[in-house]
Amino acid sequence: MAYFKDEQEVYEFIGKLFQDLVDDDELAPKFQKANTIVQYQYRNPESQITVKMLEDEDGQVDLGPTDLDPEVIMTMEADTAHRFWLGKVNVTVALARGQMKAKGPVAKILKLVPLVKPVFPRYREQLEAAGRTDLVEAA
Amino acid sequence: MEAGGEALAGPPMSGYKDFWQFAAPTRVVAGRDLIGGTGFEFAKEGAKRLLIVTDEVIHGTGLIDRVRSGVEDGGLEVVGVYDDVPPDSDSAVVARTAAAAHEHGADSFLAVGGGSVMDTAKAANVVFTHGGDTRDWEGFFGLPREDDGLGRPHELAPLACIPTTCGTGSEVSFAAVIKDAEAHVKYIVGDFPMYPRLAILDPEATRTLPPHIAAATGMDAMTHAIEGYVSSEWNPHADAYALQALRLIRENLRPAVESPEDETARGNMLVAANLAIQPTSANAIGIAHSMSHPCGAHYDVPHGVANAINLPWVIEFNAAGGEPIANRYRDLNELLGLEVGGRGEQVGHALAEHVRGLVSGLGLPTRLSEVGVPEDGIPILVEGAMGDGCTLVNPREPSEEDFAELYRRAL
Repeated sequence: MAYFKDEQEVYEFIGKLFQDLVDDDELAPKFQKANTIVQYQYRNPESQITVKMLEDEDGQVDLGPTDLDPEVIMTMEADTAHRFWLGKVNVTVALARGQMKAKGPVAKILKLVPLVKPVFPRYREQLEAAGRTDLVEAA
Repeated sequence: MEAGGEALAGPPMSGYKDFWQFAAPTRVVAGRDLIGGTGFEFAKEGAKRLLIVTDEVIHGTGLIDRVRSGVEDGGLEVVGVYDDVPPDSDSAVVARTAAAAHEHGADSFLAVGGGSVMDTAKAANVVFTHGGDTRDWEGFFGLPREDDGLGRPHELAPLACIPTTCGTGSEVSFAAVIKDAEAHVKYIVGDFPMYPRLAILDPEATRTLPPHIAAATGMDAMTHAIEGYVSSEWNPHADAYALQALRLIRENLRPAVESPEDETARGNMLVAANLAIQPTSANAIGIAHSMSHPCGAHYDVPHGVANAINLPWVIEFNAAGGEPIANRYRDLNELLGLEVGGRGEQVGHALAEHVRGLVSGLGLPTRLSEVGVPEDGIPILVEGAMGDGCTLVNPREPSEEDFAELYRRAL
């Protein structure tokens, strides 16, 4: 059974994490150096998060439909995304196994992977603060 | 050990791993006097009407005439020869190659050349089969598949390769590196159907290879073997290929460069390059490549030359990253007859000095400043290296400052 019961839960937790990141004074400038727009397309439940990280522009996170034109599209199960943000997915392995699929200039995203490691505890804390330790324990 | 530990605490460098994947589906035919049997072999892969993809230099050596004769002797038809592939092929070249295949009514590709020619043919095969622009297919495992993208990938047209250099191993790899001339970046298209169906390794095809290119491409092969063995994505299958490649390089690289008439050395270097690339099928590679890719994209430094310069500095950086990593280098040092004892720094230094001596002895440049890389270019090189896919699978995680320091040392 999937970790998230519907797309709203995906947006409530993973979506909120992205929103916090683009508003973070320390991390946002680093992510903006990627200078791209990434769309994460999730399955089970079907959901979509689009993140604008452009140099010299404010970040933007669209949950669901968007007018942004993504340069990179990452496709995966929402479960994989959840496990990734808990620090339990090796991106290289996930790409090799096809658990994550990347379309577009993937290098722009790979560059961010080392930067997101400090975010893993933040995601866990966010779930715990929302009383969703079940999501932490299930992964 | 759970994958989570791996993601957070660094990769295991020994033992039994949680996961690895290895594929080597290309049929390899190696030996002597095989060019004349090209058609006989390629017919077994379903080819009937093929487009030869090559470059003007190779075309001018007369090799293509012998290949064409070999194809026709096997009952196949050469419907065209596309010989306009430059050293650093780009999206436009790929598009023209695919268009030529359509115009001539080809049903298959035969690449005769070095890495650029073979990668062009691979990428052109994708465009020929699935349409679009090469950059539409950028990324890994993104080609069309059955079952809503989750099943078996659709096949491409048959592709055979006859490498004329001993370095890239592209004849048995599933990826193509193509330049975006406008954006000044190199990008990768990679998926299982892109493995060539056939590779023909015949030293006759490398007979006219100039010594300095034999040296540079040979160092590329050596870099594949060393980085493949110490990568975080090491695995026992890849290890077997990397170590045997390194043995062959140990015995044959110098003779192949210094005595071009030595057909045995050239043949063994073809095989070494072919073996050395195999770890990359499991993503086993490292940051010497991360550093070299932007050197090529921004300053046109030949890939093998950039690897030859960057590799020793990366070895020293990695080997100082802890005993588990140093132990991987100890294996390599033992194979090469070098010091295996002492701290990681000493092990790394011994191997790095061996590589530096080899590079110098082969007559290759040993500094990036000798090949047109300026000191003020370091920031843009660092940016490229940080975003390179090879960085993620290096055994020691580098920071931006680490890359800047590595470039300064290599300068």
